[in-house]
Amino acid sequence: MIDRAALATRIETMIAAFGHGEPADTSARDALIDDLAAWQAERIPEYGRLQRRGQWPPALPTDVFRFRRIASHPEERDIRVFRSSGTTSTDRSVHVYSDLSLYDLAARVAARRMLFPDVDSIRLVILAPPEDEAMDSSLDYMLARFAEWFGSTSTWVWRDGALDLDAMTIVLRQAEDAAEPVALLGTSFAFVHAEDGLGERWFELPPRSRVMQTGGYKGRSREVDADLLLSSIGARYGVPAAFIINEFGATELSSQMYETTLQETISGRTRPRRLWVPPWVRATPVDPDSLLPVEGDTVGLLRIDDCANLDSVCCIQTADLARRLDDGIVVLGRAKGATPRGCSLAVDQALGSP
Amino acid sequence: MTVDRLRAASSEERIAWLASAAELLLRDVNDAPGALAESTGLSEAMVAWGARTTLRTVERDALRALVEETRMTGSEPIASLSIVLAGNLFTASVRAVVVPLLLGIPVTVKASSRETRFPTMFRDALRRANAELGNAMELVTFAGGEVQLETALIEGAEATAVYGSDSTIDAIQRRHPNARLIVHGHGVSVGYCGPDALRRERISETIANLALDVCAYDQRGCLSPQIIYVATDSEPVLSAFAERLAKEGLEPLARELPRAPLPLEVGAAQAQWRGMAEVEGSLVSGDTYGIAIRPAQPVRWSPGYRNVTVAPVRGVAEAVRAMEPLGSSLKCVGADPMSSASLCAEIGRSNALSAHVCSLGTMQTPALDAPADGKPVWHGLLR
Repeated sequence: MIDRAALATRIETMIAAFGHGEPADTSARDALIDDLAAWQAERIPEYGRLQRRGQWPPALPTDVFRFRRIASHPEERDIRVFRSSGTTSTDRSVHVYSDLSLYDLAARVAARRMLFPDVDSIRLVILAPPEDEAMDSSLDYMLARFAEWFGSTSTWVWRDGALDLDAMTIVLRQAEDAAEPVALLGTSFAFVHAEDGLGERWFELPPRSRVMQTGGYKGRSREVDADLLLSSIGARYGVPAAFIINEFGATELSSQMYETTLQETISGRTRPRRLWVPPWVRATPVDPDSLLPVEGDTVGLLRIDDCANLDSVCCIQTADLARRLDDGIVVLGRAKGATPRGCSLAVDQALGSP
Repeated sequence: MTVDRLRAASSEERIAWLASAAELLLRDVNDAPGALAESTGLSEAMVAWGARTTLRTVERDALRALVEETRMTGSEPIASLSIVLAGNLFTASVRAVVVPLLLGIPVTVKASSRETRFPTMFRDALRRANAELGNAMELVTFAGGEVQLETALIEGAEATAVYGSDSTIDAIQRRHPNARLIVHGHGVSVGYCGPDALRRERISETIANLALDVCAYDQRGCLSPQIIYVATDSEPVLSAFAERLAKEGLEPLARELPRAPLPLEVGAAQAQWRGMAEVEGSLVSGDTYGIAIRPAQPVRWSPGYRNVTVAPVRGVAEAVRAMEPLGSSLKCVGADPMSSASLCAEIGRSNALSAHVCSLGTMQTPALDAPADGKPVWHGLLR
């Protein structure tokens, strides 16, 4: 008989063990995913109705989070509700939590490994709203936790619903003067808007400074090619490309994936830029018809099985296109025609972009 | 000059030329369906089916009847027409071009940048059938939103027929507020199966007809049924109906008219749609189709490619109420023969709907004179 406490312990142990340097165990992860899915299918009727295809448990489409409350616990036990960006209620995915401890653990271990492997703490400059201005944003929740866990100082350069470029300039100049590295964290949109607004203000941030950007463009505003944005950010802040990494997260998930270049450069390795998949997550491109894993590096729809999703659904079918690369994943973006959504959108709307 | 020559020809001459061009074009398609399959994203068998069922409507009696119908109005054809084609259905250009040419109206056709092969073959067939006829169809291509070229296209003709998405049409209307536009915007279609269609002696025919309507053009056209309303309040009856549609309709037809490979973006939408179907009701699916069994509301639009909803209704009145929110976007309702009259009457009483009612199995093969958007096919071509 599987119970929640036992599952929670197994998940926590798996994540914590990796955080302590133990090697990943994919067969244990796969067994955990099976058990989690079975437990969730009994408790979440929407998930229980999905048909199994192949050997893996079925994956719940992300769209379902837009229309249904997906949780194994009753609503009165919700302690936090995360919503994706969007303009109407049905545009927005909703992910409810009765307990954020696994989310926190997963976020902390992943960020420590991929974003802050070389520093205990660092100056954080956050291009996003403070947590109390966006209580339903999982990104803003995560960034607030980063401030607690990794920030020697933390500055939110977001005031009254807009980027405060003067405040941003001041804090970056202070870092330059102090010769202390900075971590700039924010959405891709925020970096585009900063790029548009900073004009002749250029920076040469101290060595080991880094940038984490996240989110796509949602088809709602000016889109900048990923390579171009990478080079623009590098030139603007004086940060080498390897230290500018993308974070892939989603409202429907409790874990994040990060690009590999920062961690591998620090480890003295040079390998292709790709997303690192935490060992408690299984990320798989699947065939759009059969929903079974595709072969090799064929492009497919990204399925993510996230063990940290204990109280909702572990196995998630996204509408993102992806392919395998080496031991990681490259996400090619949301398929045209699929519902655009995500945390970048709220930023863009606040900034009044078309 | 072309106007004069085309118009100087008698109706009988134009009828003969157009019928001949349709035969030539059909032969060309059948000789090389592969090239069109590549450009249209349909299987070769589907390309051949689409060409055959469309071009056979361009026959002498139908053309004559159409000429007679327009004569009865006492109006004269306009001098020239520009046509902006959509890219979703390759045969959509046939009626759009044949009808004005039949009336002696020369056309300038702006083909979709996604699909130029069939319009080019069409123009070449017209030229081979008769030089005057061929010269009366000019074919141009340019990217959407090229304002100067678009302005030249629209201002160079007395009227412009625009086929495309609502956003394309809105943009053109905004850019050319004074132009005479004949718009054919985004459309969806549905099917209706009354009690008679479900009777033991009728059900096989119903299933075969519905399967053809769903499979035709891989359900990419505005005449493709997205939802099939079934007159039953019995869940087992509805489930059995969906199972039969799958096993006796869509599966066998997939062998005869294979579905094209699924584009990834459609696959992404399909995965979400099918998952929602399972969550909200149930799903019957195979290698190349999905049938959602769920209530008529809320509507979840399928991505096409043989993904269709079957929804229970108590009868014609409830079905029409379910269709009303679609308004003028509802283009066609396919119905079983015993339901057609009551469905027509109910739609006629609705202020919101102007959809054309046709028989199941013919939704994607409209006659040459079938109404378009509730209006005669020659609407906008006379003055």
